Amino acid sequence: MKIDESLPLEYSTEENRLKILGFWIFLGAEIALFSTLFTVYFTLQNGVGNGPSAEELFKITPVMIETVLLLTSSFTIGLGIHAMRLGMKKAMMTFFVITLALGLGFLGTEIYEFLEYIHEGATIQTSGFTSSLLTLLGTHGAHVTFGLFWGTAILIQVAKRGLTPETANKSFIFSLYWHFLDVVWIFIFSFVYLKGMM
Amino acid sequence: MMKQLFPKQHVMGFIFSMVLSVVALAVITFDMSYKMGMAILLVTAIAQALVQLLLFMHIGESEDKGTLYTNIIYAVFVGVVTILGTLFTMIWGYQIY
Repeated sequence: MKIDESLPLEYSTEENRLKILGFWIFLGAEIALFSTLFTVYFTLQNGVGNGPSAEELFKITPVMIETVLLLTSSFTIGLGIHAMRLGMKKAMMTFFVITLALGLGFLGTEIYEFLEYIHEGATIQTSGFTSSLLTLLGTHGAHVTFGLFWGTAILIQVAKRGLTPETANKSFIFSLYWHFLDVVWIFIFSFVYLKGMM
Repeated sequence: MMKQLFPKQHVMGFIFSMVLSVVALAVITFDMSYKMGMAILLVTAIAQALVQLLLFMHIGESEDKGTLYTNIIYAVFVGVVTILGTLFTMIWGYQIY
Protein backbone atom coordinates (compact mmCIF):
# COMPACT_ATOMS: atom_id res chain seq x y z
CA MET A 1 0.00 0.00 0.00
CA LYS A 2 1.47 3.31 -1.11
CA ILE A 3 1.09 6.10 1.41
CA ASP A 4 1.39 9.62 0.05
CA GLU A 5 2.80 11.72 2.89
CA SER A 6 1.94 15.01 1.21
CA LEU A 7 -1.81 14.46 1.67
CA PRO A 8 -3.88 14.35 4.88
CA LEU A 9 -4.03 10.82 6.33
CA GLU A 10 -7.61 10.22 5.18
CA TYR A 11 -6.59 10.74 1.53
CA SER A 12 -3.15 9.16 1.81
CA THR A 13 -3.81 5.96 -0.16
CA GLU A 14 -5.59 5.24 -3.43
CA GLU A 15 -8.14 3.14 -1.54
CA ASN A 16 -8.82 5.98 0.91
CA ARG A 17 -9.33 8.49 -1.89
CA LEU A 18 -11.78 6.16 -3.64
CA LYS A 19 -13.69 5.48 -0.42
CA ILE A 20 -14.26 9.21 0.04
CA LEU A 21 -15.37 9.51 -3.60
CA GLY A 22 -17.71 6.54 -3.12
CA PHE A 23 -19.23 8.09 -0.04
CA TRP A 24 -19.97 11.31 -1.91
CA ILE A 25 -21.79 9.25 -4.53
CA PHE A 26 -23.81 7.63 -1.71
CA LEU A 27 -24.66 11.13 -0.44
CA GLY A 28 -25.99 11.90 -3.94
CA ALA A 29 -28.37 8.96 -3.52
CA GLU A 30 -29.34 10.27 -0.08
CA ILE A 31 -30.22 13.62 -1.65
CA ALA A 32 -32.56 11.76 -4.02
CA LEU A 33 -34.08 9.83 -1.08
CA PHE A 34 -34.81 12.92 0.99
CA SER A 35 -36.10 14.76 -2.10
CA THR A 36 -38.78 12.11 -2.56
CA LEU A 37 -39.76 12.38 1.12
CA PHE A 38 -39.98 16.18 0.85
CA THR A 39 -42.05 15.71 -2.31
CA VAL A 40 -44.55 13.48 -0.52
CA TYR A 41 -44.77 15.97 2.35
CA PHE A 42 -45.29 18.99 0.06
CA THR A 43 -47.99 17.10 -1.82
CA LEU A 44 -49.89 15.91 1.24
CA GLN A 45 -49.28 18.73 3.73
CA ASN A 46 -52.77 20.21 3.32
CA GLY A 47 -54.51 16.87 3.74
CA VAL A 48 -55.11 17.22 7.48
CA GLY A 49 -58.46 15.41 7.68
CA ASN A 50 -59.72 15.46 11.27
CA GLY A 51 -56.19 15.80 12.68
CA PRO A 52 -54.23 18.92 13.61
CA SER A 53 -52.76 21.23 10.96
CA ALA A 54 -49.12 22.33 10.79
CA GLU A 55 -49.96 25.63 12.47
CA GLU A 56 -51.67 23.88 15.38
CA LEU A 57 -49.01 21.21 15.78
CA PHE A 58 -45.63 22.95 15.43
CA LYS A 59 -43.99 24.68 18.39
CA ILE A 60 -40.94 26.82 17.77
CA THR A 61 -39.06 26.10 21.02
CA PRO A 62 -38.13 22.42 20.51
CA VAL A 63 -37.41 23.13 16.84
CA MET A 64 -34.96 25.90 17.73
CA ILE A 65 -33.30 23.69 20.36
CA GLU A 66 -32.87 20.94 17.76
CA THR A 67 -31.52 23.39 15.19
CA VAL A 68 -28.94 24.89 17.57
CA LEU A 69 -27.83 21.43 18.78
CA LEU A 70 -27.39 20.04 15.28
CA LEU A 71 -25.71 23.16 13.86
CA THR A 72 -23.28 23.20 16.78
CA SER A 73 -22.55 19.49 16.40
CA SER A 74 -21.78 20.06 12.73
CA PHE A 75 -19.31 22.76 13.78
CA THR A 76 -17.65 20.60 16.44
CA ILE A 77 -17.15 17.65 14.10
CA GLY A 78 -15.59 20.09 11.63
CA LEU A 79 -13.18 21.11 14.41
CA GLY A 80 -12.60 17.41 15.14
CA ILE A 81 -11.46 16.79 11.56
CA HIS A 82 -9.32 19.91 11.70
CA ALA A 83 -7.65 18.63 14.90
CA MET A 84 -7.21 15.21 13.26
CA ARG A 85 -5.29 16.83 10.40
CA LEU A 86 -3.01 18.46 12.95
CA GLY A 87 -2.40 14.98 14.35
CA MET A 88 -3.99 15.90 17.68
CA LYS A 89 -5.71 12.67 18.60
CA LYS A 90 -6.95 13.75 22.01
CA ALA A 91 -8.48 17.00 20.76
CA MET A 92 -10.04 15.16 17.82
CA MET A 93 -11.62 12.60 20.15
CA THR A 94 -12.89 15.32 22.47
CA PHE A 95 -14.60 17.11 19.59
CA PHE A 96 -16.12 13.83 18.38
CA VAL A 97 -17.47 13.09 21.88
CA ILE A 98 -19.01 16.59 22.05
CA THR A 99 -20.51 16.05 18.59
CA LEU A 100 -22.12 12.77 19.60
CA ALA A 101 -23.41 14.27 22.87
CA LEU A 102 -25.04 17.10 20.92
CA GLY A 103 -26.48 14.52 18.51
CA LEU A 104 -27.92 12.63 21.45
CA GLY A 105 -29.44 15.88 22.74
CA PHE A 106 -30.99 16.45 19.33
CA LEU A 107 -32.45 12.97 19.29
CA GLY A 108 -33.83 13.34 22.83
CA THR A 109 -35.56 16.59 21.89
CA GLU A 110 -36.98 15.03 18.75
CA ILE A 111 -38.35 12.03 20.67
CA TYR A 112 -39.92 14.43 23.19
CA GLU A 113 -41.46 16.31 20.24
CA PHE A 114 -42.84 13.09 18.73
CA LEU A 115 -44.44 12.17 22.07
CA GLU A 116 -46.06 15.62 22.17
CA TYR A 117 -47.42 15.03 18.67
CA ILE A 118 -48.90 11.68 19.66
CA HIS A 119 -50.34 13.33 22.76
CA GLU A 120 -52.07 15.89 20.53
CA GLY A 121 -53.52 13.14 18.39
CA ALA A 122 -51.06 13.35 15.51
CA THR A 123 -49.79 9.84 14.85
CA ILE A 124 -48.42 8.36 11.65
CA GLN A 125 -51.95 7.12 10.82
CA THR A 126 -53.87 10.35 11.50
CA SER A 127 -53.75 12.13 8.15
CA GLY A 128 -51.77 12.58 4.96
CA PHE A 129 -50.07 15.53 6.62
CA THR A 130 -48.97 13.70 9.79
CA SER A 131 -47.93 10.49 8.07
CA SER A 132 -45.78 12.27 5.46
CA LEU A 133 -44.39 14.57 8.17
CA LEU A 134 -43.45 11.75 10.52
CA THR A 135 -41.96 9.70 7.67
CA LEU A 136 -39.71 12.60 6.70
CA LEU A 137 -38.71 13.49 10.29
CA GLY A 138 -38.42 9.82 11.24
CA THR A 139 -36.09 9.03 8.33
CA HIS A 140 -33.84 11.93 9.33
CA GLY A 141 -34.00 10.91 13.01
CA ALA A 142 -33.17 7.30 12.09
CA HIS A 143 -30.10 8.57 10.22
CA VAL A 144 -29.01 10.53 13.31
CA THR A 145 -29.56 7.45 15.49
CA PHE A 146 -27.47 5.32 13.14
CA GLY A 147 -24.82 8.06 13.15
CA LEU A 148 -24.57 7.93 16.94
CA PHE A 149 -23.71 4.22 16.86
CA TRP A 150 -21.38 4.63 13.88
CA GLY A 151 -19.57 7.57 15.49
CA THR A 152 -19.18 5.70 18.77
CA ALA A 153 -17.67 2.69 16.96
CA ILE A 154 -15.18 4.95 15.16
CA LEU A 155 -14.21 6.64 18.43
CA ILE A 156 -13.45 3.24 19.96
CA GLN A 157 -11.26 2.36 16.97
CA VAL A 158 -9.38 5.66 17.15
CA ALA A 159 -8.84 5.17 20.88
CA LYS A 160 -7.47 1.65 20.31
CA ARG A 161 -5.48 2.09 17.09
CA GLY A 162 -4.66 5.78 17.04
CA LEU A 163 -4.78 7.95 13.92
CA THR A 164 -3.88 5.67 11.02
CA PRO A 165 -4.79 6.02 7.32
CA GLU A 166 -7.75 3.68 8.01
CA THR A 167 -9.16 5.32 11.13
CA ALA A 168 -8.60 8.83 9.75
CA ASN A 169 -10.44 7.84 6.57
CA LYS A 170 -13.37 6.43 8.54
CA SER A 171 -13.53 9.52 10.75
CA PHE A 172 -13.50 11.84 7.75
CA ILE A 173 -16.26 9.88 5.99
CA PHE A 174 -18.32 9.95 9.18
CA SER A 175 -17.89 13.74 9.30
CA LEU A 176 -19.26 13.98 5.74
CA TYR A 177 -22.31 11.97 6.84
CA TRP A 178 -22.85 14.17 9.90
CA HIS A 179 -22.58 17.43 7.93
CA PHE A 180 -25.02 16.00 5.39
CA LEU A 181 -27.59 15.30 8.12
CA ASP A 182 -27.23 18.91 9.19
CA VAL A 183 -27.94 20.05 5.61
CA VAL A 184 -31.09 17.90 5.51
CA TRP A 185 -32.15 19.36 8.87
CA ILE A 186 -31.74 22.92 7.55
CA PHE A 187 -34.25 22.12 4.82
CA ILE A 188 -36.64 20.48 7.31
CA PHE A 189 -36.27 23.50 9.62
CA SER A 190 -36.97 25.94 6.77
CA PHE A 191 -39.52 24.23 4.55
CA VAL A 192 -41.39 22.07 7.05
CA TYR A 193 -41.36 23.94 10.37
CA LEU A 194 -40.92 27.64 9.50
CA LYS A 195 -43.06 27.37 6.36
CA GLY A 196 -45.71 25.51 8.37
CA MET A 197 -45.80 28.26 11.00
CA MET A 198 -45.74 31.13 8.51
CA MET B 1 -3.33 26.09 21.19
CA MET B 2 -6.93 27.37 21.30
CA LYS B 3 -6.28 29.41 18.17
CA GLN B 4 -4.90 26.33 16.45
CA LEU B 5 -7.93 24.21 17.40
CA PHE B 6 -10.51 26.83 16.41
CA PRO B 7 -9.57 27.99 12.90
CA LYS B 8 -11.08 31.37 12.05
CA GLN B 9 -12.77 30.07 8.90
CA HIS B 10 -14.69 27.39 10.82
CA VAL B 11 -15.72 29.80 13.58
CA MET B 12 -16.91 32.34 10.98
CA GLY B 13 -18.81 29.61 9.12
CA PHE B 14 -20.52 28.54 12.33
CA ILE B 15 -21.49 32.10 13.29
CA PHE B 16 -22.72 32.71 9.74
CA SER B 17 -24.95 29.61 9.81
CA MET B 18 -26.37 30.63 13.23
CA VAL B 19 -27.11 34.12 11.89
CA LEU B 20 -28.83 32.61 8.84
CA SER B 21 -31.06 30.48 11.12
CA VAL B 22 -32.08 33.57 13.07
CA VAL B 23 -32.73 35.51 9.85
CA ALA B 24 -34.95 32.62 8.68
CA LEU B 25 -36.98 33.04 11.88
CA ALA B 26 -38.11 36.43 10.52
CA VAL B 27 -40.71 34.62 8.40
CA ILE B 28 -42.67 33.69 11.53
CA THR B 29 -41.93 36.74 13.69
CA PHE B 30 -42.93 39.34 11.08
CA ASP B 31 -46.08 39.51 9.06
CA MET B 32 -45.12 39.06 5.43
CA SER B 33 -46.48 37.67 2.19
CA TYR B 34 -46.08 33.98 1.32
CA LYS B 35 -43.82 34.83 -1.61
CA MET B 36 -41.56 37.02 0.50
CA GLY B 37 -41.34 34.35 3.21
CA MET B 38 -40.47 31.61 0.73
CA ALA B 39 -37.83 33.84 -0.89
CA ILE B 40 -36.15 34.42 2.49
CA LEU B 41 -36.27 30.70 3.36
CA LEU B 42 -34.81 29.69 -0.02
CA VAL B 43 -31.91 32.14 0.32
CA THR B 44 -31.07 31.27 3.94
CA ALA B 45 -31.40 27.49 3.43
CA ILE B 46 -29.28 27.39 0.27
CA ALA B 47 -26.64 29.66 1.83
CA GLN B 48 -26.42 27.36 4.86
CA ALA B 49 -26.18 24.27 2.68
CA LEU B 50 -23.33 25.89 0.75
CA VAL B 51 -21.45 26.73 3.98
CA GLN B 52 -21.65 23.05 4.99
CA LEU B 53 -20.72 21.75 1.55
CA LEU B 54 -17.85 24.08 0.71
CA LEU B 55 -16.39 24.84 4.12
CA PHE B 56 -17.09 21.92 6.46
CA MET B 57 -17.26 19.07 3.96
CA HIS B 58 -14.23 20.30 1.97
CA ILE B 59 -15.87 19.32 -1.34
CA GLY B 60 -13.28 21.15 -3.42
CA GLU B 61 -10.03 19.95 -1.82
CA SER B 62 -9.16 16.71 -3.62
CA GLU B 63 -8.26 15.84 -7.18
CA ASP B 64 -11.74 14.26 -7.51
CA LYS B 65 -13.50 17.57 -7.04
CA GLY B 66 -14.79 17.68 -10.64
CA THR B 67 -16.52 14.32 -10.12
CA LEU B 68 -17.84 15.39 -6.70
CA TYR B 69 -19.33 18.63 -7.99
CA THR B 70 -20.89 16.85 -10.99
CA ASN B 71 -22.35 14.17 -8.75
CA ILE B 72 -23.83 16.58 -6.20
CA ILE B 73 -25.17 18.99 -8.82
CA TYR B 74 -26.76 16.06 -10.65
CA ALA B 75 -28.31 14.74 -7.40
CA VAL B 76 -29.69 18.19 -6.56
CA PHE B 77 -31.06 18.45 -10.12
CA VAL B 78 -32.83 15.09 -9.74
CA GLY B 79 -34.20 16.23 -6.36
CA VAL B 80 -35.45 19.58 -7.65
CA VAL B 81 -37.09 17.96 -10.69
CA THR B 82 -38.77 15.39 -8.41
CA ILE B 83 -40.13 18.07 -6.09
CA LEU B 84 -41.11 20.74 -8.63
CA GLY B 85 -42.33 18.23 -11.21
CA THR B 86 -44.62 16.62 -8.65
CA LEU B 87 -45.91 19.96 -7.36
CA PHE B 88 -46.48 21.04 -10.96
CA THR B 89 -48.69 18.08 -11.80
CA MET B 90 -50.30 17.38 -8.40
CA ILE B 91 -50.74 20.81 -6.81
CA TRP B 92 -50.26 23.75 -9.16
CA GLY B 93 -51.54 22.13 -12.32
CA TYR B 94 -54.87 20.48 -12.87
CA GLN B 95 -56.46 21.23 -9.52
CA ILE B 96 -57.57 24.75 -10.41
CA TYR B 97 -59.77 23.50 -13.24
